[in-house]
Amino acid sequence: MSAARESRKDLDDQVLAWIADGVDAPADEARFDALARALFLHQFEYNEPYRRLCTAFGRAPEGVGHWSEIPSVPTGAFKEARLAAFPEAETVRVFRTSGSTTERRGELHLDTLALYDASLRATFRAWVCPDPEPVRILVMATPLRDAPDSSLSYMFDAAVRDLGSDDSAMLFGHGGLDMAIAMTALQRARTPVAICGTAFAFVHLIDGMRAVGLKLALPDGSRVMETGGFKGRSRELSREELHGGISEALGVPPDAILNQYGMCELGSQFYEPTLRTGVVTTRKRIPPWVRTRVVDPEHLRDVPEGEPGLLVHYDLANTGSVLAVQTADEGTLTAEGLEVRGRIAGAEARGCSIAADALLGGG
Amino acid sequence: MSDPAALREAACVLPAERVIAALEGTFAAWRAPGSAWRDALARACPVWSRAAIERGVCDGLDGWTADVLRALRRRELENARAPALAAVWLAGTVPTGTFSALALPLLAGCAVQAKPASSDPETPRLFAASLRECDAGVADALALDADDSALDEADAVVAYGSDETVRILRGRAGARPFVGYGHKLSAAAVGRDADLAGAAERAALDVCLWDGRGCLSPAWIFVDDPDGERTGAFGEALSTALERLRTDIPRGALQAGEAVALRERRAREALRSPACWFPSGEGSSDWGVFVAGGEAAAPGTLRNVPLVSVEGIDGLAARCTSLAPGLSSLGHEGFGGERRLLEVARAGGGSRVCALGRMQLPPIDWPHDGMGALQPVVPQT
Repeated sequence: MSAARESRKDLDDQVLAWIADGVDAPADEARFDALARALFLHQFEYNEPYRRLCTAFGRAPEGVGHWSEIPSVPTGAFKEARLAAFPEAETVRVFRTSGSTTERRGELHLDTLALYDASLRATFRAWVCPDPEPVRILVMATPLRDAPDSSLSYMFDAAVRDLGSDDSAMLFGHGGLDMAIAMTALQRARTPVAICGTAFAFVHLIDGMRAVGLKLALPDGSRVMETGGFKGRSRELSREELHGGISEALGVPPDAILNQYGMCELGSQFYEPTLRTGVVTTRKRIPPWVRTRVVDPEHLRDVPEGEPGLLVHYDLANTGSVLAVQTADEGTLTAEGLEVRGRIAGAEARGCSIAADALLGGG
Repeated sequence: MSDPAALREAACVLPAERVIAALEGTFAAWRAPGSAWRDALARACPVWSRAAIERGVCDGLDGWTADVLRALRRRELENARAPALAAVWLAGTVPTGTFSALALPLLAGCAVQAKPASSDPETPRLFAASLRECDAGVADALALDADDSALDEADAVVAYGSDETVRILRGRAGARPFVGYGHKLSAAAVGRDADLAGAAERAALDVCLWDGRGCLSPAWIFVDDPDGERTGAFGEALSTALERLRTDIPRGALQAGEAVALRERRAREALRSPACWFPSGEGSSDWGVFVAGGEAAAPGTLRNVPLVSVEGIDGLAARCTSLAPGLSSLGHEGFGGERRLLEVARAGGGSRVCALGRMQLPPIDWPHDGMGALQPVVPQT
């Protein structure tokens, strides 16, 4: 076995062992620090574009004494290079960011799905399907067969595969949400269901049900997980409007509706713990094998607890790419968890050269 | 909202010499050692560092004197009668640009009803206040209004902004005299006769003054590089100069969205450029220099600037022509005579060539976009 493979297998094993301890395992700081720095060393050595990036900004492993000093990569960089710590021939799946046809899409290359699957299973089970038996999961998102490079589609597919009952179903057809199938599935539900989907799909569902004057009362124990935002694919609703609309249409109480936050570039996701705590909250739990810093975007310095800033995630499940990912999202962090406020607006910069930059397609 | 009739009345009783004296006095007040106006601007506009305002305003207004204003009037308005009231639609650009946008129509003899940019209401407000302190009578001919009522009242319209804004305002102006200044970009050129270290010092000043936000900032630096080594050597020298200016003239504050976009841009450039230079440490995005690898290098911004290798004056001309009509100014060093360079700049739509280190310091009588400083707004007889 090559040194790269050996190093990687050891890291994968350690991360998998931590994930196997579940979301209630202690968020052991020393354990995270040691594992994160070991992973950074590996990625610096074997992920050539990442090393190039670190070197360009004068960063090297010897200057990293704590996980928070590991150089982070802006998500936009995933559009520019294959940020992978393994040879291209070993790629088993590529997740791509959503985007327009003209814009280059970001790519996350994976040589194994074991860590992604393990992290998903642990978190999804904890916060969406804590039931002892498999749950009927109804998915409102593009099926994996139609979007093999969508991390969202893969996530739902894996969740159904690992945690869903046999009668779980996809409610999307080729043209999007299939209202007939959805209505039938929801109206016939006699046992608790977990309805999972994108926020815009829920908007379409609510609108469709309103159009025909339909309101349901799903069986007790049913729950809803929405994710992914709107991205111009439906009218936009505030969280309160969306959850209120879902609650009214499906007869699911507000404390059984939660939001998930994830990114194509990350192997782990963040969930509101509403189902477990019974308390409605916008603060998401961070898995023990993940850390999030909230920093000021100009200098990347930590902001005081509870203050808004740019989110930088350190996800140990990202063994094959880069563990430190700089988002374009704004949020706050407290002891109760992470609140994501949305994408930092690309504020119109002052000065005519910058506006012209946009005109010329730069930046 | 201001009273257009009162503005017209205020302007029509002003002798030209009184306006010239008031403008000169106002510029002098901004240039003066320890100027309270510069101080107020620094407090009101954190987008600029205090040092940038000190340097940019003092050097930028140098030469904006009564003699120059008088000569400009004489040269351009010999047989002309100014419109009584000019509407000026301001863009949120660099302070000296705002000063000249307000001062020139006054100098022409117009009353001015200006709409400040929503991104910068402070610079015009401070300029108007400084003018009032110098001569209240002249200041009575200048009004700032947040709405667009002036567009319908004025006898002429001067518009700064995006091409789309200019297009819309041109439509609103109808048959009235209209001058539109859309977005343009500038470039610097380093010839084979340039001393690289010295040229880098001067180019760095052009990059740093107003943080690359203005249309006179070098969005690209073209390096004549016959042997394939000068671009890299210049990049090295430029990075040294930018690092020094990082403390001497710090960059102003960025908005969160700008900072995020800039970080992404820098990471992408670092991944695709054959060579690049950045301050050491992940935390600073204060400057960046990268050698553009592809054909179409995106323009630099916020002190992060691409270097583009060219071969000789013909290579420079080809690059400038490809920017047509979006080129504004061409700063240069070591590229030969200005006459040929002006032809090169004009091929790209440019109207000004100057020495490196002077790109941000246009004279007030500069024929912006080749249109003359005063003439376009004043019907000639």
